[in-house]
Amino acid sequence: MTHFFQFDTLSLLFAGLIVLGSVPNLFYSRGYMSHISRPWHYRIHYAAFILSMLGVVTAGSALSFLLFWELMSLTSWQLILTEAEKEPETTLRAARFYFFMTHFGFVFLLLFFLIVTRGDLEAGFATMQGIAHAFAYPTLLFFLLLLGFFSKAGAVPLHVWLPYAHPAAPSPVSALMSGVMLKVAIYGIFRFFLTVLYPWPLEWGVLVLVIGAMSALIGVLYALSEHDIKALLANHSIENIGIILIGFGMGMIFDALKLPVLSAFAFTAALFHTFNHMSFKSLLFMGAGSVLHETHTKNIEAYGGLIKSMPVTALTFLLASVSISALPPTNGFLSEWMTFQAMLGSSHIDNMSLKLAIPFAIFALALTAGLAVACFVKAFGITFLGLHRSANARHAREVNGMMRAGMMLMAGVVLALMLFAPWFIGRFGAALAALGRRDVTPLIFPDGIWQMHSVAIHGGVVSPLLLTLALLAVTGALWFGMRLLGVRERLHRTWACGYRTSARTQYSATGFAGPIRRFFEWLYRPEEHLEKETLAGHATKFDRSRYAVHVTPLFEKSLYDGAARAANFVSYWVYRLAHFEQTRYAAMIFNLMLLVLFSYRIFAHEFSWATFALESVVMIVSIKVLIIGEKR
Amino acid sequence: MSLYLLTVAVLLLIAPLLLGVIKALKMWLLFKRPLSLLQGYRDVAKLLHKENVVSEEASLITRVAPFLILSPLLIVLFFLPPAVQGAWYVSFVDAFTLTGLMALSTFFLMLLGLDSASSFGGIGASREAFIAALAEPAMVLTIFAVSMMAGDLGVGQAGVNLASRFPEKHMASYLFAAISFFILLIAENGRIPVDNPETHLELTMVHEAMILDIGGVWLAIVETAAAVKFVIFASLFASLFLPFGYGLAWPLALALFVGKLFGVALAVALVEVNTAKLRLFKVPNLLGIAIVFAFLSLITFYVLGA
Repeated sequence: MTHFFQFDTLSLLFAGLIVLGSVPNLFYSRGYMSHISRPWHYRIHYAAFILSMLGVVTAGSALSFLLFWELMSLTSWQLILTEAEKEPETTLRAARFYFFMTHFGFVFLLLFFLIVTRGDLEAGFATMQGIAHAFAYPTLLFFLLLLGFFSKAGAVPLHVWLPYAHPAAPSPVSALMSGVMLKVAIYGIFRFFLTVLYPWPLEWGVLVLVIGAMSALIGVLYALSEHDIKALLANHSIENIGIILIGFGMGMIFDALKLPVLSAFAFTAALFHTFNHMSFKSLLFMGAGSVLHETHTKNIEAYGGLIKSMPVTALTFLLASVSISALPPTNGFLSEWMTFQAMLGSSHIDNMSLKLAIPFAIFALALTAGLAVACFVKAFGITFLGLHRSANARHAREVNGMMRAGMMLMAGVVLALMLFAPWFIGRFGAALAALGRRDVTPLIFPDGIWQMHSVAIHGGVVSPLLLTLALLAVTGALWFGMRLLGVRERLHRTWACGYRTSARTQYSATGFAGPIRRFFEWLYRPEEHLEKETLAGHATKFDRSRYAVHVTPLFEKSLYDGAARAANFVSYWVYRLAHFEQTRYAAMIFNLMLLVLFSYRIFAHEFSWATFALESVVMIVSIKVLIIGEKR
Repeated sequence: MSLYLLTVAVLLLIAPLLLGVIKALKMWLLFKRPLSLLQGYRDVAKLLHKENVVSEEASLITRVAPFLILSPLLIVLFFLPPAVQGAWYVSFVDAFTLTGLMALSTFFLMLLGLDSASSFGGIGASREAFIAALAEPAMVLTIFAVSMMAGDLGVGQAGVNLASRFPEKHMASYLFAAISFFILLIAENGRIPVDNPETHLELTMVHEAMILDIGGVWLAIVETAAAVKFVIFASLFASLFLPFGYGLAWPLALALFVGKLFGVALAVALVEVNTAKLRLFKVPNLLGIAIVFAFLSLITFYVLGA
């Protein structure tokens, strides 16, 4: 008995995530509408996009899942194209890339469903589980799911479309795609790994952990080198998906090692980070969208000083920056803390090689956290602080009321996830319990909501509420103390060694990330351009100079462009073959016949190395001479 | 509880003194006439009477950041392991929270640097971001290794455990972790060879560059924050890696603890006198050493049990 829809706890949890992510976005979108040239195209696809995401997470059968999944891909693809006439070239390219990548994943999902339903796509998840258990090659199913969902979630090496697609879309859509749509893929991972594919061998968990750690590091490193604020945020989505996958991979590893409590804890951490990333990433994209709306440029180097004209945008962006940098007491810190605690639980593993390997993942996550702080100091500091770097920034004003309402509502979601973390963790526990896992909420909160414990023996403890209260109290006390002192304030010029400060002498985003870019030069391989207009032929004296640095992502350069080059190479040789004269065609047929005869003898009749070598030589010589021809 | 509050008060009070001691020791070792040990207190007292001079370009951040730089560090001061046996300590906070709070302080320090539109502030913030990012993994791994030996991730509990049973069986990994932590102490507090706190030369400044454009009470707050951060690291080093004399009568134990803090200050002063400041792009090598030692500590603990 299967239904088109099903509403179990996990579905409702993710439906809740989509609603939390969409409602503030609706307000923001309403305010953003004046910026959009094709409003009805936008409205229709926007509504269909949200409904189809809700459809995916509540789908009860393979058919409805695939239907809504494809609808979600197509509507988001159309939404990217909403503002296509503004920058037609980049937008069209981004949309095409997205369309290809999402269907690349869809093919594997379709294959997966055809296998686990034996072609009857109306089968429910319980039926699929039975068929998957009986299937002889579970690893094939694992890889099909991996390719299908990771290409949507944006995990390395299927992440390359994110930094193109997210900047090209209108800002509310970027917020929805990055904040909510990627989480739908995470839903798929939870749903199909925990029910259909379960149980799994240890190696799958290790692979997911490695992919997660690599995504986290690569995402944050490319975010640091980015000048386009929305591409920067898109790269951070890759990083955060990596953190979620680290949690999920740890859960898989612990489960394979029969440590159910730690495993449930790691899954809870992954779910919590999924929610947190939805909240702060949507807020960051809305903030970036407001800045873009006012300054008409995505280039971070053209901003500066916007906190004075756009205080609401700046302060909500600051809240989200603190949260995404995993600084206490925000919600981002809590989920990253849980992920760290899950990894520290690796000391309970008996397998020595695994026990020694997991600290490397801890290293990767810690480096990611450190670099994320650097990146968001850059993103916030260069955008909102200092002097205006361009005329566009000087003319920026605070955005309209609806957009502000959207941002403040989303900031409310961030704060709610921080203050009501125990309640949310209770919901995650319930969702996992419904999937047959242990509900670890009572172990995380053994003595009430004030303290959050790690489930590992002698693990860590944190008390988010007490930390928040303490920070507020101490800051308040310091502020009050200063009020009591009655300090006067005087404005003066910034000290610049006697010169006047100007927008050109303050630090740029490129300069800010300079040391880190130089340290990771082996990864970035930046193309640097330095032009100087020299004065009167003096090599060292110049009054104008221009410095530009461009970083092409490694994966795009090697994996994707490499694949493109390989395809070109093969098609060149196919072209050469296809344009032979007729005698060579005859030679080809002769060679194919030889190949068939020899192969038949080898595989079906008998095999000896001597005849194999002889036949190989005959084949190679005849191919060389008859088909390719002699060297001119 | 009264002992706990007393310890926190003592730590807060000697914070400016410790930095003064380092400076005086360095001058004395270099055959200069050392400055008064009370100079730190005098500076704070002087700054509290001054008006706040703020850059014209400064926004809300300059007016809020100093509080947010100091308050997380003040909170950390309350979460440190007990110096005296029987004293109350906070059991519900682990090492990640501590590093997180210190990172929060650094985050606002870097924003403060960027707020005045000065290129110095940018230099300082950019370098601080670079160093802090690379120090983070070393910190997390060292915490992990120490918590293995102490048998608990909670900072207070780890200090108590180490003091009550010294990890004789794990001396090798303990030592490696101590080396790593000492390097982090130097890097996080901006001492030579990572940063030179005495210079105002733009080629070398990190911490000083970020706070170049504030004055008065705000400068006093930020300077206090730097002193408090050093006390935090010194007392963490003292209670995690020098865990002896904990069971003495409380005045003696407290005096011994303060003595250990001065010992750490002496060690830092000796390192500062005997090394040159590293080029910024050599700093990762030093932090790399800390990372390697933290890994070594974990691996020795797991594989050799030593």
